[in-house]
Amino acid sequence: MCLAYPGKIISIKGDRAAVDYGGIIKEANVSLTKVKVGDFVIVHAGFAIQKLTDEEAWDAIKFYEQNEG
Amino acid sequence: MKNPTDLTIDLEDGGGGYKSWLLIRQLRKFLSVKTGWQHLEDDAAVYPLGKDNLVFTTDAFIVDPLFFPGGDIGKIAVCGTINDLAVMGAKPLGLSLSMVIEEGFPRGDLFKIMKSIDQMSRVARVPIVTGDTKVMDKGKLDKIIITTAGIGLAEKIISNAGAQVGDLIITSGDLGEHTVALLSKRFAYKTRIKSDSRPLCQELEAVGKYLHACKDPTRGGLAANIAEIADKSKVKIILEEKHLPYKKETNALSELLGIDIFSFASEGRFIAAVAPRHVKPVIGKLKKFNRRANIIGRVEKGRGVFLRTELGGLRPIEMPRGKLIPRIC
Amino acid sequence: MNKMRDKRKEKILKEINLLAVKLGREVKLMEVCGSHTQAIWRYGIRGLLPANVKLTTGPGCPVCVTAQEDIDLIVFLARAGIPVASYGDVLRVPGYYGSLEEAKKEGAKVFTIYSVEDALTLKKTLPDLVFFGLGFDTTAPMTAYAIKKGLTVFSTHKLFLPAMTALLEMGEVKIDGFINPGHVSTIIGIAPYKKLKVPQVITGFTEEDVLVGIYLLLKQLAEGRSEVENEYLRSVKPDGNPAARKLIFEVFKITDGLWRGFGKIPASGLAINSKYKNQDARYKYKNILKKFVFKEHQQMKACRCSEIIRGLSRPTACPLFGRACNPDKPFGPCMVSVEGACNLEYRFQDKS
Repeated sequence: MCLAYPGKIISIKGDRAAVDYGGIIKEANVSLTKVKVGDFVIVHAGFAIQKLTDEEAWDAIKFYEQNEG
Repeated sequence: MKNPTDLTIDLEDGGGGYKSWLLIRQLRKFLSVKTGWQHLEDDAAVYPLGKDNLVFTTDAFIVDPLFFPGGDIGKIAVCGTINDLAVMGAKPLGLSLSMVIEEGFPRGDLFKIMKSIDQMSRVARVPIVTGDTKVMDKGKLDKIIITTAGIGLAEKIISNAGAQVGDLIITSGDLGEHTVALLSKRFAYKTRIKSDSRPLCQELEAVGKYLHACKDPTRGGLAANIAEIADKSKVKIILEEKHLPYKKETNALSELLGIDIFSFASEGRFIAAVAPRHVKPVIGKLKKFNRRANIIGRVEKGRGVFLRTELGGLRPIEMPRGKLIPRIC
Repeated sequence: MNKMRDKRKEKILKEINLLAVKLGREVKLMEVCGSHTQAIWRYGIRGLLPANVKLTTGPGCPVCVTAQEDIDLIVFLARAGIPVASYGDVLRVPGYYGSLEEAKKEGAKVFTIYSVEDALTLKKTLPDLVFFGLGFDTTAPMTAYAIKKGLTVFSTHKLFLPAMTALLEMGEVKIDGFINPGHVSTIIGIAPYKKLKVPQVITGFTEEDVLVGIYLLLKQLAEGRSEVENEYLRSVKPDGNPAARKLIFEVFKITDGLWRGFGKIPASGLAINSKYKNQDARYKYKNILKKFVFKEHQQMKACRCSEIIRGLSRPTACPLFGRACNPDKPFGPCMVSVEGACNLEYRFQDKS
């Protein structure tokens, strides 16, 4: 329902940041999050809604393996 | 509930998808004189001249923006028509160039466009031999419309209706890059991807004789153009998702804006049906032009176009519908 | 790399199968987010699951749950000459007076935008512009941001959680567990879901995310637990995004929400509060809107979208599906929206 896509912040100017989505660089509004250059964010409708944890933690199955016995 | 807009032409009728295809079919029905011409529903029309065939095509270009990464309206106006001849198996002989220009259009931009046209003409070694220019009142036209027509000669015609059961489907390279470059201004993003617009004459001279059907996936993208081959050849085509060459940027843009990647256009690539015994030499030759030339599917008995997903399931690929619109959900 | 992934996927599927056998009975899980419905189709998840684990689609597509009355009102406004901007998804939803797209073809000023910031830019040249605010907790903060910057909005925004409560209370469909929406949760966090007495897993959107989410739900069921777990750790923090929530409530107040299929759900709607009254299109243009009368009989009767979004019906059970109703000529929003249950079923059904 809420199409959101992860990208990496490559520059910030005030409320706006240039976000790299894997070769497509588009501006997003970062006023809803506290982020710095190099952070990964999840962007919905032109706004970053959350800073993502480190990329290594994105692997769902790895998480499950680490949390299982 | 009545739908009065069926009485008027809408943007979807020109979008390159299902509705466009329907409109063209309707319009063709009005034309009653055919005398001697063949392949009237192909990328170009054919007039047999004994050993050779005269091939004739036309196209109008209304691209927006006019200037984009990797090209401009002039470049695609020349390449587009040259390629429509080339994918029929023809060697282009010459083009006509007609321009309708809005009053107030910057002269500098017009000359820039002419320089691009000349550059492509030189690269492809195809002359612009005749043309026309008109100017319309400001506001009556959106900047400029360019129409090119082209004639060529072909010994053997490659028809869209020629794909055979057992053939393999190939692409001459990465797909969808033209759209990625084109949308960058409209959707305000930066990318290193440039339009793939270029003439296909050299590739098609090298491998044309092996191709049973051939199209350049421009308006409507892979989906619309492969559907046309399947429909005209009366076959079923299955594309393999894991072999479709889309760059990571192309994938990212499709996901980001929520636009179907199979509708992304290419202006310098072709897709074709080839007999299995020829596919290795064909791909070998094409890889010299683009490393990502590849087998992307095959032709089977039946009808329709399908995608074999990475999971092994089969799902239909629909003709693109509607205009390209981004979504939030 | 891919081999490793396949191995891990096999492992999870094995575990899922073991749990399914252990449970023995039929288990019905509901995904309540259109993006999950899409992921499930795209990755062929149904085909991978054991026969007794069923997935059913809930009301997670904001286009699909927008009440027809609201569609009719915004189209009415557009046809009255007021410029309207909206996200692309809703453009083709047919109302009694047609869709926004049809209104546009007939001369109405209708604009598609990607972000509210585009709408704010448009407003500079079109001061009367109304933005059709639709979406759940994830999208409401953006509208709130734009209202604070001066945008006039027709709000049909909704809070998602009350719909989950309503689904459980209505008891029409047996729901053994929810696959919770990842991005709504990014905004609201984990705690609000605890009042729902049913197993839940907040899940991400990759193939692995969805499989792990299903695994965790089955594990809860097998162990007799009923908790809210968070699989989408990379995006969902326990307290969600407080700044976004604060922004929502600076501008909106909670009212009853009007949902297609559910009718009124208490405390599920977001209406613009009195501080920003002058930017509330429902107030600003009340003289135009009061001329509109919505009658029950104006609803499109044959369309089964209302039942489909409650999980009561599969698209294939609708007599219109695939025949009179398809993505080219949609009857209802479930076929218009690319995350609508009908649209997805039509486009992704396995033809092998």
